[in-house]
Amino acid sequence: MRRAMWTIMIVEDDPAIREELTLLLGNEGYRTAVVTDFFEVPQQVLRAAPDLILMDLGLPGRDGAALCADIRRISRAPVIFVTSRDSAADELRALSLGGDDYITKPYNIPVLLARIKAVLRRSGALAEPDTLEAGGLKLHLTRGTAWAGGRSVELTRNELKILSHLMAHAGKIVSRADLIDALWDSQIYIDDNTLSVNMTRLRAKLEEIGLPGLIKTRRGMGYQL
Amino acid sequence: MTFWEFLADRLDRLLIQIICAAAVAFFLWATGTQPGVLVILCLALLLVFFAVQLSDFLRQRARLRELESILEGLDQKYLFAECLPPARTLYEKRLIDLSRRAGRAMTEAVSDARAGQREYREYVEQWVHEIKTPITAARLICRETDGAVRRRLTGELGRIEENVERALFYARAESPERDCVIRQTGLDGIVTRAVGDHRALLIQRGVRVETAGLDCCVYTDEKWAAFILGQLLQNAARYRGAEPVISISARPLGKQVRLTVADNGIGIPAHELPRVFDRGFTGSNGRTRGGATGIGLYLCKKLAGFLELGLEISSEEGKGTAVTLTFPTKEAL
Repeated sequence: MRRAMWTIMIVEDDPAIREELTLLLGNEGYRTAVVTDFFEVPQQVLRAAPDLILMDLGLPGRDGAALCADIRRISRAPVIFVTSRDSAADELRALSLGGDDYITKPYNIPVLLARIKAVLRRSGALAEPDTLEAGGLKLHLTRGTAWAGGRSVELTRNELKILSHLMAHAGKIVSRADLIDALWDSQIYIDDNTLSVNMTRLRAKLEEIGLPGLIKTRRGMGYQL
Repeated sequence: MTFWEFLADRLDRLLIQIICAAAVAFFLWATGTQPGVLVILCLALLLVFFAVQLSDFLRQRARLRELESILEGLDQKYLFAECLPPARTLYEKRLIDLSRRAGRAMTEAVSDARAGQREYREYVEQWVHEIKTPITAARLICRETDGAVRRRLTGELGRIEENVERALFYARAESPERDCVIRQTGLDGIVTRAVGDHRALLIQRGVRVETAGLDCCVYTDEKWAAFILGQLLQNAARYRGAEPVISISARPLGKQVRLTVADNGIGIPAHELPRVFDRGFTGSNGRTRGGATGIGLYLCKKLAGFLELGLEISSEEGKGTAVTLTFPTKEAL
């Protein structure tokens, strides 16, 4: 999924997490700015001009929450707090200090990415591409339709999610578990059978518009577009 | 203390008094006092003795009752000696002094033990928060490995997290009032949180989750309730059968809501069912499948007690297990 480069600033004192987050967010198409020196963080924010700040609350020296208040004064970038503390008091404090979201360690990676996207979308920074293209297929996300060779077909919510996930990872093998993970919603819980049913219907619909066999089954590994 | 017990306690003194009176009477009789006078004298003497003993008895009994009512009224009974009324006799004063000294030693020991426990709890909490950073790092590093290895490692990390979370709540359960905030909460929010926390486990084990009737409000602490629910989900995922399904459904019942987590897993043998909430109890399932700690359900019961939730379990071997949590809906706490 190509998108314009959004800069995410990582304020985190654990070097392993810092490095891995940089890698992860880099792979997801974000540019990252890393804070390694925790003095004068506000100035560094000013210099990097990030679109979003991921901030650990347990920083050496200054408290992340107090830091957030300082950053708020000079920057309007949304802040997601990351913390390993999850007591009711900590949660309340973080949100009352102007954090846009709050996520506790150890986080589930799809959840973290979803939260980042949601906050960026809310702040208006993220204009997601409305269409995806791969293998002669054009997917219209907001309208929920797939186009190929002048013919179009309407997709259900799950079918759309499956197809967009496969198209975003075009050429790569996507395992069933990864697909379920991508489909899994906070309200609707997808299981293996549902995925199979949806996959069958999706293939039938793709065949209608002249793309049979677009989604290949890789036995024992998953699916590939 | 009855009057007879009181007299029996003073039997030696009474005997000496009677012997003395008898000796005096004999002496007076021998020196020529008239028997009629002697009888009157003896009766008068006995009456005085009796009156003295009776008044002693009544006073002591009243005093003991007073002390007992003081003890009854105390929350911390070991502080008894500090709350005593002023001593009435020298002997009582010394006794009170002694018990005060003993009481102070006890108070010190108790407060030392409390401080130790608090420190330990704080250390466990801090440790849990520290350990979450490397777990997070490990999760992120996992991404770089390929599919099967990643899934296995993620699964193991998930197990570490489950245990860490249990340790955290175990420590918190020692003084629940510090972290527990009871307020109106949507039941669906609790379920979403619990299922979300265990999504990796549920997806990995291929569990289908069905929900029904969760759009109601209850009075509880969302985080704690989600932890309890999470333990139930873990159990259901661990002791699953073929094609595992967990159904989470709620049903209002008067001023309560009954939330039932039912699975179609391997179930619990009837004779083990009464003991599943015992600390350290791992049934035959836990032993054959491994990985059971005997802490999960024990902790559920304990936390449910603090939140004033009902917790019941029913199970049929080979068919599945259903656990019902009863939440209050009105602020009747």
